[in-house]
Amino acid sequence: MSDEIALEGFEPADLDGHTIDELSDYLEAGCLPFDPSIESSPGCQIAMAALIRLRGVSLSLLETEAIDEPARDDSWVAGILNRIGFEAQAGRSIPVSHPSAQAFLTLTEGAVRGLIRAAGDSVTGVLIGRCRLQGDVTVPGEPITVLVDASVFWGESIPEAAARVREAIYAELLKHTELTIAAIDVVIHDVHLSRSLGEDAAEEIE
Amino acid sequence: MDVHSPPSLSQADDRTIVGRAADGDVRAFEVLVRRYGPLMRAYATRVLGSNDETDDVVQESFITAWQQLSTLTDAGVVKSWLMRIVSRKSIDRIRARKQHVDIDDFEQEAPRAHGPERIAEAHSREAALSRALRAMPAQQRQCWVLKEIAEYSYDDIAAELDLPTSTVRGLLARARKNLMREMEEWR
Repeated sequence: MSDEIALEGFEPADLDGHTIDELSDYLEAGCLPFDPSIESSPGCQIAMAALIRLRGVSLSLLETEAIDEPARDDSWVAGILNRIGFEAQAGRSIPVSHPSAQAFLTLTEGAVRGLIRAAGDSVTGVLIGRCRLQGDVTVPGEPITVLVDASVFWGESIPEAAARVREAIYAELLKHTELTIAAIDVVIHDVHLSRSLGEDAAEEIE
Repeated sequence: MDVHSPPSLSQADDRTIVGRAADGDVRAFEVLVRRYGPLMRAYATRVLGSNDETDDVVQESFITAWQQLSTLTDAGVVKSWLMRIVSRKSIDRIRARKQHVDIDDFEQEAPRAHGPERIAEAHSREAALSRALRAMPAQQRQCWVLKEIAEYSYDDIAAELDLPTSTVRGLLARARKNLMREMEEWR
């Protein structure tokens, strides 16, 4: 395609001496600094409107294509999940005592985070997000603070939900680990509208 | 653990999903794959110019994402973070092709018989753009997609495509003109 294609209505003569590329840069800069010769030119205004339209269509094209993408069969998703290495998120090793002096047992931090998630999720209306174990978990008896990010569904009392999350996590850690829990801090970062859960889950996965 | 069913993960916000996935929750990662996979596929297809390699590129992107997820400090930007990864992987493919064939040879392939654009016919303005993009030379299209969809700067595009910034500017100017002509004709 030639560089020299004339674009009717969008040549410098139509744009009070400006070029389409200048106008594109001007738009990109948020129309700053204010340029009176562009702003007062009907030709430039028409061209900028066309540029904005083009940009809008470029963005919506991709979103539309994404929606229209034929749903990937589960094997495609499974192909990804089978190729990810689980060890990446294992984290630190947490010692577990054993009656035999010869045995050296550990739990991975990742496994403990899994326990924390499951415990927190068991509280009605709560979904656990990221969780952190603060303190040196590799040293037995070291005080550990658990930081949990959670979201709560609309209608649940936030303080009550947070208290129940704390209890559930504490009970679970007491049962399965030897960690000395100094504190469990729960940050509720979002409140969702509650929905009929089971059906939505099925709908989303299709 | 409990009789009630937990709130659905597939409905959860990005921060929850990303936090869990970064902690090693494979189910949360699956939600991320289903949530953003289609957009990443559409994007990779646009950059690559055909969907032959899209599946591979998007799969590789997600594997990288899984490995690096714990480095993502702001879960709110996960979408653009994933788009960056898929951009990079797509460009790697283009570079690999370059070593074998002149890149424009790829554009001679017949367009896909089925796929996103067929359905997009319903959206006529988008269909016009889709046709125009397919008709464009590869480098023009790549520059356009990186600039307008992935929001790369001129310098970033130049670095990614191993081209001088001035060449990128020229390619984008031509792409813009071509697309405007097509779109205005369509109006």
